[in-house]
Amino acid sequence: MSSNKEIAIVTDSTADIPECLVHDFEINVVPNVMIIDGKSVEDGLGFTREQFYSCLPEMKPIPTTSTPATGTFEQLYAKLLAHGKSQIVSVHAASALSGIYNSARLAASRFRGQIHVLDSEQLSLGLGFQVLAAAEAASTGASLERILEVLQYVRLRARVIAMLDTLEYVRRSGRVSWARARLGNLLSIKPFVEVRNGKVMSIGETRTRRKGIDRLKELLLNLGPLEKLAILHTNAESDAREFLDDLNHYIVLPAQPMVVNITTIIGVYTGPNGLGFAAILKQ
Amino acid sequence: MLSDLQEPQRQDSTFDGPLDGQFLKLLLEASLTWLRTNQQTVNSLNVFPVPDGDTGTNMVLTMQAAYDEISASPERNFGKMAHMVAHGALMGARGNSGVILSQLWRGFARAVDNVEYLDATGFIHALSVARDTAYKGVVRPVEGTILTVSKDVAAAGEQALAKTDKLCDLLEVIVQEANLSVQRTPDLLPVLREAGVVDSGGKGLFFIFEGVFRFIHGQSLDAVVTTVQPLSSMNLENALETIEPGQDYEVVVDFQPYETLDLPSFYGSLQEMGTSIQVGEGDGIYRMHIHVPTEKRYHPIDYVMTVGTITKVAMENLLAQMGRIEPSCSENQNKVSPAPVDPGQIAVVAVAPGMGIARVFASLGANAIIEGGQTMNPSTQEIIHSFENLPTDKVILLPNNKNIILAGKTASELTVKKVAVIPSRSVPQGLAAIMRLVPDGDFDNVVHEMTEALDEVETGEITIATRNVEIDGVEVQEGQIIALLNGKLILSSQSLEDACLGLLEKAHADHFELITMFYGENTNKNEVYRIVDRVRIEYPKQEVEIQEGCQPHYQFIIAIE
Repeated sequence: MSSNKEIAIVTDSTADIPECLVHDFEINVVPNVMIIDGKSVEDGLGFTREQFYSCLPEMKPIPTTSTPATGTFEQLYAKLLAHGKSQIVSVHAASALSGIYNSARLAASRFRGQIHVLDSEQLSLGLGFQVLAAAEAASTGASLERILEVLQYVRLRARVIAMLDTLEYVRRSGRVSWARARLGNLLSIKPFVEVRNGKVMSIGETRTRRKGIDRLKELLLNLGPLEKLAILHTNAESDAREFLDDLNHYIVLPAQPMVVNITTIIGVYTGPNGLGFAAILKQ
Repeated sequence: MLSDLQEPQRQDSTFDGPLDGQFLKLLLEASLTWLRTNQQTVNSLNVFPVPDGDTGTNMVLTMQAAYDEISASPERNFGKMAHMVAHGALMGARGNSGVILSQLWRGFARAVDNVEYLDATGFIHALSVARDTAYKGVVRPVEGTILTVSKDVAAAGEQALAKTDKLCDLLEVIVQEANLSVQRTPDLLPVLREAGVVDSGGKGLFFIFEGVFRFIHGQSLDAVVTTVQPLSSMNLENALETIEPGQDYEVVVDFQPYETLDLPSFYGSLQEMGTSIQVGEGDGIYRMHIHVPTEKRYHPIDYVMTVGTITKVAMENLLAQMGRIEPSCSENQNKVSPAPVDPGQIAVVAVAPGMGIARVFASLGANAIIEGGQTMNPSTQEIIHSFENLPTDKVILLPNNKNIILAGKTASELTVKKVAVIPSRSVPQGLAAIMRLVPDGDFDNVVHEMTEALDEVETGEITIATRNVEIDGVEVQEGQIIALLNGKLILSSQSLEDACLGLLEKAHADHFELITMFYGENTNKNEVYRIVDRVRIEYPKQEVEIQEGCQPHYQFIIAIE
């Protein structure tokens, strides 16, 4: 696939873009960092996502995450410019949830106006679909202005909703203020979260998984026609496949819907057995 | 319990003259006093074999609030006074019957707007407007209730007006018709007939009219009831609820009178000894129930021996009995802290019958908790207060009890805030609804979602029958454990464990995922663990969760989903 020689697209590993698409669209993905028992491991190295989620409930101390170093961004930006790119569009996880955006912005400030760092206000494929749209535009030779327009346009139509199997992981992450207030007295609670305007918001709960999956379907169907869809999960592959199959009975699915076991960088905060989706509304 | 009020001054002669505001005050005081005197009788007419919302108490509290509103007013204008009464009744309305009563007052007041003195025509007109207003205040009016009595009374009044314009005569017709109408309620409402009682709210309305009648005829208003209830309807469970300090002993005496019992003097003598007096009769055997202080515990027995042959005596030390129950819900433990809410967000007010349940609602995002439920319905005023104390103007109310929905709706109409009442009829329904709360969401969407969630859960309730009865083909003996599924009586049993397991079986719990059991304030904890262990063995595929609910009356409230 040919790309615009002038403009490079950069994102980070929270975008959850499948490897083949990263390759096809020449997207530059900066890995985040997992810290397990004091050791740093780059996202995607050392173990599979399946392995990580099945071990997560027993892991002590609880793993944490870290953003790529500003230096990592700086090196990448410098390399891309040295290879003949005149502009770089760098799109990252919601700044209110992660320091990735700030890290990238700090790196970009070392260069003179050639690097455009954007807050996607999203996570996982809510971010990934924005990046893919930008990369697609770039590959067809679109101008910088056009690419920035496309990004904003997709961002406004991005919806990410998930059902967690427990509130426990979100709560102990300390990243979401309502999770502390709404710490359930009830043991069995499946919290629903939505990533919107850069924040993770609580959108209610259900008490059982079966009802949760029904509700997830209802929430998705309520969105109306979709341009893109990814079913997101944390080691709940069969539920995710079943969910997607079931949707076929209700709507015409967008082309090539994805099923993604999401990055451990996000999953460590949601816990295993989560199920959700990222969608881009039709224009 | 006797009235704190002075018995109103009797004014036989002035009643037929045009009535002013001050006279209305006297009449209201009379009907309140008489209703209060007969409060226990009304309470004992529960239509369902569970300790249901205390109709008599609710109606008295509603009338008391109405009276308090005007007790100090020098207003002479009848219409203006009636409006104050209606306002007071509305603010103090508790329970379904209280709300309907307040609607009757509202209609009555509307009809006498600008009326300086009430005359016969105005009175009868006001009764029909009151009836219309009350019917409109209920979504699905049920015949055989207080509504029917208000309708029959208005009709009888209209007919009688053709023959007489004397208020005194009209009132007599009305009281007679109210009595007949109450007697007919079991013909209209099968649940009453099955339980062998008349409608309690209708009976309360009868006492209100009769209080006025007795007053203008100079009859005593604070002499206690001189009627006898059927033995099977003696509601001793409820009597236990209302122990006053100092009344430490409950004495129940069965006896056969030597000759026809002189009820007024019988009651009068007992009244000097204690409170919570009830007298029942069946097959010639009388049963007397009373609460007395320690030093008078033998007095009722000695006294009954003077009027009849005693066949059986039961005496219980109420305080010791209370102490025997292991306090599984200590009061100061874990205070409930409702979730904070910001201006512009949607707040949820939940009615919770126990501290444990209140804590669960708070943990799920309830921003205010009103204590209440079975036999303790919060007033309209309390509900309005809870709305007004919130820093936001968008509020959702979860009544969590069928008897509180109407009061909630009334409250929602009396506040400037935007309030939606989600008709949750049980705690499990309320919990299912609050799960859908999105504080920053679109109000109408959230209300819609929360309402939809009500049907996502089955509600099981385990309690103790307070009377012998047969309902829906289930035969129940007083004191037996009974199980209700979604409000419907499904079985009775001698054992708590069998009742729980039977309920789960009838609810097809094996088709569901999760069983949550909220145990009550008087449920023995060891028994709770034993029962939950059994449930876990019987339902290995279901998740079984156990929660301290602290609710009174119900040994278990069970959510099956």
